[in-house]
Amino acid sequence: MTLGTLFLLSLAKAFTVVVALSLNIAGLLTWVDRRQGAILQDRVGPERAVVWIPKRIAQGAVAGPAVLVAGGALALFFFSDAEGVTRTTRAVLFSHLAVFVTWFTALVIAGRIKMRGVKNSFDRFIASVGDPRRIFYVGLIIHAAIFLSLGVLKGTPAGETLRDFLYGAGPFVFAFSVLFGAGYAAQRFRHERAGFRLIGLLHPAADGLKTIFKEDFIPPGGDGFLHKLAPFVSFFPVLVLLGVVPFGDTLCFGSDEQGKIMLSKLLATVPRDGICPTSTLDAGSAVHAVRLQVLDFNVGILYFFAMAGTGVVGAALAGWASNNKYSLLGGLRAASQMISYEVTLGLTLVGALMIYGTIRVDEMVRWQAENTWGIFVQPLAFFLFFAAAIAETKRIPFDIPEGESEIVAGYFTEYSGMKFAMFFFSEYVAVVTLAALTTAVFLGGWHLPFLERDGLHIAFGDKEIYAQPLSHGAVILFGVLAFVGKTVALCILQLFIRWTLPRFRYDQLMKLGWRKILPASLVNVLATGLVILAIQSGGPAVQSLMAGAAQVTQWVIAIGGIVLMVWFVRFLLKPAEHRRVLASSSAQYAASMGGTRTARMGA
Amino acid sequence: MLTNQPLGPKKVVGTPIPRPDRNASVQTYIPEIAKGLAMTMAHFFKNTKEMALGQRNDPTIESISDGINCVSYPEQRRPYAERFRGVHRLTHRADGSPRCVACLCCSTACPAQCIHIEPAEYPVGDSRRGYERFPARFVIDELRCVFCGFCVEACPCDAIRMDTGIHAAPYDSREQFIFEKDLLMSFKGRDGSQLSENPRHEPGDPTYPGVTREHGGH
Repeated sequence: MTLGTLFLLSLAKAFTVVVALSLNIAGLLTWVDRRQGAILQDRVGPERAVVWIPKRIAQGAVAGPAVLVAGGALALFFFSDAEGVTRTTRAVLFSHLAVFVTWFTALVIAGRIKMRGVKNSFDRFIASVGDPRRIFYVGLIIHAAIFLSLGVLKGTPAGETLRDFLYGAGPFVFAFSVLFGAGYAAQRFRHERAGFRLIGLLHPAADGLKTIFKEDFIPPGGDGFLHKLAPFVSFFPVLVLLGVVPFGDTLCFGSDEQGKIMLSKLLATVPRDGICPTSTLDAGSAVHAVRLQVLDFNVGILYFFAMAGTGVVGAALAGWASNNKYSLLGGLRAASQMISYEVTLGLTLVGALMIYGTIRVDEMVRWQAENTWGIFVQPLAFFLFFAAAIAETKRIPFDIPEGESEIVAGYFTEYSGMKFAMFFFSEYVAVVTLAALTTAVFLGGWHLPFLERDGLHIAFGDKEIYAQPLSHGAVILFGVLAFVGKTVALCILQLFIRWTLPRFRYDQLMKLGWRKILPASLVNVLATGLVILAIQSGGPAVQSLMAGAAQVTQWVIAIGGIVLMVWFVRFLLKPAEHRRVLASSSAQYAASMGGTRTARMGA
Repeated sequence: MLTNQPLGPKKVVGTPIPRPDRNASVQTYIPEIAKGLAMTMAHFFKNTKEMALGQRNDPTIESISDGINCVSYPEQRRPYAERFRGVHRLTHRADGSPRCVACLCCSTACPAQCIHIEPAEYPVGDSRRGYERFPARFVIDELRCVFCGFCVEACPCDAIRMDTGIHAAPYDSREQFIFEKDLLMSFKGRDGSQLSENPRHEPGDPTYPGVTREHGGH
């Protein structure tokens, strides 16, 4: 691989990680945080952060991408003929995508109709379904039917016919549903201008931009250089930490005679064993592996400890350089807290390192993919690590360094503008980073149960009961999506912990760290060692028992995940009674007069 | 005094408040955290989905929604009261110079001490030399100003006014709130005029009512 390609690839990976993970998720977290806010401006802000767009442009912005996506799907069908595994993969993907888009569009439309009332015959047809959850159930049944019939009929002529039918029908239904949904959305713009709100996500963006233009204040007695340096020192480590976290399985490209990577030649399939074997290619050409990880480090997790430890310096520097007693107290608290929990953070991972036998994060994920997720072999370590990680991010219930009720705002009391925002960013990005790392070490990273490198293999014991070969690109894509999904789930969990728990007292924090979590992590190391010893000296019977248990965990994850998702969607779609609450006296007055010009309220 | 009450602490009457049960589930903390998390999540997801699906109104948003009492501020503005005290302006004379004679009444009257004036004499030969001064610098720190209007009351020449109808804008830094003479003179009153309704009767004008050096002969 030439230096240029290497550079470009690294840049692309770094960009993907930073934009897709930190900034997007951090923006989303801010939004969810705002949604919980009780202050009027927090609730109104996202509503008011709006860009007004002329009607025609808004319609184009909705319909344009839909036309492109639908056209792309049809073009893929008409102009590139797929054979073998790629054909099956496309048939499976497009049929499921088509069913998904169809029921989702129908659900959204049903929701709109319920909101604004029935107006025409189409509305009447949709409304006749009744409970919108029925649409979801029907979609679910079709998903399951496609899944099962493809599996049962595999290899028979009927299965071939079904696959070919899905291969042809999938793109058309998908294109129709996308276009229909976009058209329905586009004709909804009735006023001359449309508000572009992005569900209120513009507000965090505007907040971030605003801080750039705010006054940059350095306290008169403070140390100007250290005061400027501190935000960078605390922001840098959390951002570069994402570098060692693998966000997907290794991509395999073909390479030419000189061993240079050929980005246009993504392998169609790779076999199950080995990372990127050469056997699948034509004779004479080689395979090039691209790890989906910014830094291909062999020290992996040690780099994480090194960088996480640097975060203390930023907070301590900020506290010292501000020439303010509250800042100094906050800086001291931050330093002592982070150093205390650093020890636990390291020791909880020792058990995991003993089991995985590697310190490379991608090797850890691979071990989990072959055996079972880390949370099943190290359940105690998972909880301890997660608690220590929250303490490391200095967020509630461990936000003693910035306890507003005691020391104003702690170590960033004297910070304003973008420098203040950088402390906040680093806190939010640390949430994302630690969620990503926890995912990689304990929740199987990119791994999904039964999804091997060559496709779906559902096995029970030694017997394979369902096999669905999938192309290499699709498998990697599912992996990346799984990783992002798990990370988002952990981020949301951290936010809920923040909203639920009160702040610890300082001595409680130290007692929890040194007298409870630390001894527990030491016991965990001891117990892990004993169990490993017992299994290694147990002979083949114990080994096969462990393999069986590992498979049981896969079943638990798969079934539990599906049940949880269906239950959650069912909960989200539960109909509720629409009641209009008139809070302000002016609104009550307007209602008593039969509404206003723009909002008619029935007399 | 003899009472029937026994010695010792007084007996508390009333129903006792039930204390939280300190069982194992409470003391280990983890199950209680899980319960709390479940409650927060249930409320959050229920509220958010009802808001997103339009199944429930948000009274906070609704009380300011369109047509009720919402003013989309930068585009729509509410009229200010006639006597609203906005950012200061320095009124002009007919020749465009400030009416201010640098008497320092306003800076003396200012309770916030936000007005700074450097008075200067007119050059030799000017008819106003020795008679009145002019402000070489006239600075108002709008960040210190409390908008009490005492400067306007104190001014004997109608030279400073707060009738611009502009409220103090939020700037990015403290320096931008230091309004110098040129800026203060560039503001217009709400009628668009930079002059004052009271005409000035300069020495030498036929309308000039007072005693001049020529008349006085000193």
